[in-house]
Amino acid sequence: MSDAETPADGDEPRSMHDSAALGKGDPVMQVEGLKKSFGGLTATDDVSLEVERGTITGLIGPNGAGKSTLFNLVSGFYEPDAGSVTLRPERWDEDAEEWIVEEHDVSGTPPHERVDSGMVRTFQTPRKPEGMTVREAMLVGPQNQVGESIFALFTNPEQVRMEESEALARADEMLDRFGIAHLAGEPATELSGGQMKLVELARAMMAEPDLLLLDEPVAGVNPTLANELREFIHSLNEDGVTFLVIEHDMSFIMRLADPIIVLDQGSVLGEGSPEAVRTDERVIDAYLGGAL
Amino acid sequence: MSDDDPKRAADSGDDAPTRPAGSGEDEPQTGAKSGGGARSGGDAADADGSPIAAAREADSLRGAAGALVGGLTTAERNVASALGAFIALLLLFTAAGVINPTYLLYLLSLAGMYLLLSMGLNVQWGYTGLINFSVAAFFGLGAYGAALVTSSDAPITIAASPLLGLVAGLSLAGILAVLIGIPTLSLRADYLAIASLGLAEVVRLIINNEGQWTGGAVGLSGIPRFYENWPVLGDLARGTPTAAANLALVSVFVVATYLFLRRIHRSPWGRVQRTIRADEDLAKALGKDTFRFKMESFVVGSLVMALAGVFFAHLQLYLAPTSLLPTQTFYVWIAVILGGTGSDRGAMFGGFVIIAIREGTRFVGGSLPIDAGPLRLFLIGLIIILVIRYRPEGLLPPQRELVWPGASSSQADGGDGQ
Repeated sequence: MSDAETPADGDEPRSMHDSAALGKGDPVMQVEGLKKSFGGLTATDDVSLEVERGTITGLIGPNGAGKSTLFNLVSGFYEPDAGSVTLRPERWDEDAEEWIVEEHDVSGTPPHERVDSGMVRTFQTPRKPEGMTVREAMLVGPQNQVGESIFALFTNPEQVRMEESEALARADEMLDRFGIAHLAGEPATELSGGQMKLVELARAMMAEPDLLLLDEPVAGVNPTLANELREFIHSLNEDGVTFLVIEHDMSFIMRLADPIIVLDQGSVLGEGSPEAVRTDERVIDAYLGGAL
Repeated sequence: MSDDDPKRAADSGDDAPTRPAGSGEDEPQTGAKSGGGARSGGDAADADGSPIAAAREADSLRGAAGALVGGLTTAERNVASALGAFIALLLLFTAAGVINPTYLLYLLSLAGMYLLLSMGLNVQWGYTGLINFSVAAFFGLGAYGAALVTSSDAPITIAASPLLGLVAGLSLAGILAVLIGIPTLSLRADYLAIASLGLAEVVRLIINNEGQWTGGAVGLSGIPRFYENWPVLGDLARGTPTAAANLALVSVFVVATYLFLRRIHRSPWGRVQRTIRADEDLAKALGKDTFRFKMESFVVGSLVMALAGVFFAHLQLYLAPTSLLPTQTFYVWIAVILGGTGSDRGAMFGGFVIIAIREGTRFVGGSLPIDAGPLRLFLIGLIIILVIRYRPEGLLPPQRELVWPGASSSQADGGDGQ
């Protein structure tokens, strides 16, 4: 995994950019000119932004600003009217024996192919896999399992068993890391909303993403658990995972993310450090209503 | 993420006030687990964590043996004893001369066919959540495929070996499944339901009306037994011996199908299917090509249904489009819901119960003041209401975690490969 880099604060201008900061050194995702309208309503209008590798980038904006639409466009759940999405996952090059950055233009590809390119998303309302235990749900995360092919189940059962053991070990490890190892055998439907948020994050990690999109990770979560989640996200970030986080809880996102991108009425209002965003007149006008 | 151990230790330090007290004690376990889990050189770590490893191994052993004796759940014990009692009763009646043994064997073969049908639907509906209302069509294609290829009275007589008929029946059903799957499986679940509802009738009406190909409403006779040309079995006398051979044949089909399905159900493949059933978007977000998985499930289920059809043709030796009526489909649906959606054994049990009611009412009918036919449907309806009201998950719902056999996170065999 890459070094945990945080953008050098000295280079950041004190005030907020007028648009998303483009031309970053090592973006893990580049979004260019994304447009989507539903009937007469323009949900995202020409959104361009970049997510720098190693950051926790926040995405805020008032209701209806187009945050969730943007997530759905970027993750392939919606088809954009125009624009492109490029992912730049890091891959281990066996020959060169070093990490190299690949460039995948994923515009127009279905969601599952974008996961191949290192991007995994979570949902605003946690999805509970009915009829599965937490451990089983975790085991859906790993990518390209041999055992997902019916033929391999009969031609190569030993490989399947080995991968399954490995995945189980990683699932246990991950659940343990998130402090929910005791829930492994519980039916996924029995969990509380907060526990489910943890499981969802842990499960997304099973897919070993370069970039993890979190849609309101602490919505409906009590403050203690929210703090815990913030710690987990920070620690995963230190392991090299880049995050793009939508969140309405201002104090949470201000303490978690840097930089923060502000969306308003379908377009990017600006980008900047939490302080810059917090004090920016336009953001306050558009969104915070003077609350901060 | 090889370097996460020190980080995690650091984390738990930070988190200590907010975490449950137990988390600190978990740390050493994690070390042992991750060391032992399928990574080479895990032996030493495993020796350290031996109590945990031993406990887990015992767990997995108990799981394996559970299917046989010790670990049976209440539902399984109840079902097993009910089945045992029922079969004992049947045998008793047969011994007492109330039931003709040939007929009993025939009924059990028919039950076997229903087990196949409900297992097939359970793949589609139980694993993946696909609503297929054309069970009768896939069953019928299997039956007609086999019959047309093997029958000596077919409009275009091929009179080929039943093994070829088996291939023909399964291929027909497989091709139709792909054709109907392509336009519907990328849409919402309801569209498959609607399309398949129509499909079943289309298939039946085509068979009914295209007499020059299919024998039409008159039906097809001259179908040989499946083992007609086999040594020994082909020479069996009519009556009880052939009925016994039929039962043996369907038992082979059922056992083979069950073993096949159990393997794919417990695999990562099956897990993706169950995720799709619960929430297709979730499966997509986790990188699964859900269209491919749904198609595979649909085709596998349809092939199992077609296998039931092939057997049916060679059991009855006569085939008519009336066997493809929509009631067939709904009997199978009832069997799956009754038995326990998503459980192979539940589906089999449901199939058995449905055939017991359907055929059993033929006997009680005479001693009751009302007609047996309506009584049969009434009984089945009543059972559905009772099950949905009091046990919506079915009589034998999935009982255990489904993990690939032999796989466990603390297994001490990092040596054999990696």
